[in-house]
Amino acid sequence: MSQSLRPYLSCVRSTLTAALSLSNFASQAAERHNVPEIEAQSSPELLLNPLTVSRNQDERVFVEPSVNSVRVSIRIKQADEIEHILVHKFTRFLTQRAEPFFILRRKPVPGYDISFLITNFHTEEMLKHKLVDFIIQFMEEVDKEISEMKLFLNARARFVAESFLTPFD
Amino acid sequence: MSNINWRTINIDALDPESAYNFDLTTLTPAVQPVSTSDVQTLSGQIRQLVRGGDAEGALRGALENAPYGADDQGKQIHLSTVTEVLGQIRQTEMTPLLQRMYQSEGGSELCDTLMKYLYKGMAQGTSHTTNNSVHGRSMTPQATGFSQAGGRSFGAAEGGGQAMSVFLSWHEKLVEMVGPGSIVRVMSDRRTV
Repeated sequence: MSQSLRPYLSCVRSTLTAALSLSNFASQAAERHNVPEIEAQSSPELLLNPLTVSRNQDERVFVEPSVNSVRVSIRIKQADEIEHILVHKFTRFLTQRAEPFFILRRKPVPGYDISFLITNFHTEEMLKHKLVDFIIQFMEEVDKEISEMKLFLNARARFVAESFLTPFD
Repeated sequence: MSNINWRTINIDALDPESAYNFDLTTLTPAVQPVSTSDVQTLSGQIRQLVRGGDAEGALRGALENAPYGADDQGKQIHLSTVTEVLGQIRQTEMTPLLQRMYQSEGGSELCDTLMKYLYKGMAQGTSHTTNNSVHGRSMTPQATGFSQAGGRSFGAAEGGGQAMSVFLSWHEKLVEMVGPGSIVRVMSDRRTV
């Protein structure tokens, strides 16, 4: 792991650990409803101060806590346009299959590439430290995945170009 | 009135009794309003301390006199002062300095304020980049058609990386000492820096 990645991930880890203290909270606006308050934004008193953890301008995590839900948005590193397209395709693939992921949000928050929405029901069902571990692991893996895909793409493009141009040789 | 879609009206906003109109000032402790010029004078004094080699005193002074009541400009000035002080302190000096500060009188509050500034520092530069859906550069050389991938300006990536690593290492040292409770207090404290 690179030198500057470790403090970044440990900072995200402690921030998430602190933010994931959620309690069951029924909606104040409608009876017998229970909605994630960070999405509903139905009352300013239920929302806490949002926190940003950033490694540089292009890599950061945005944590928006509320009384019964936390929204975690990740901006994935994109050095050039190929990586930008790859990240878009990859996050799109994931968000289209958001249902089996439980905590994945179907649409990222503007300015970020992928968002997770963790409610108190998730923290009741699943272990909190495992949820934090999952997000940290995701952040570690996604960078690797993207750069690997970029290498494959370049190798394939080179091969295609070579075999396309051989008849003209 | 007839051309307003009444289904989209948020009726909670019109009801003074509803939770939507909750008065946040009842949760905020009273803070004294601070004028921008006062913040500027303070930052001048702190810079003087830093130049004199007393980085610990400068940091302590900056955190003790955090301008909660200042406007955005004043807060920005104080943030840049704190950032400057933090950047002046070497990595090896961080832990002993934090330990001395934490163990002194009112040290835990100082650490909470420092944590606030660390998060605020890391949030810098996000506000003007979040809405860059305008195409700085077109995605494809030719207009090949429809792309769902939004535009993003590249090349400005390295800006702020150095400052962020300063914040991150301070954050790591601080959490090691004061624990996650400090982060919770940053989230729940309505007095923002």
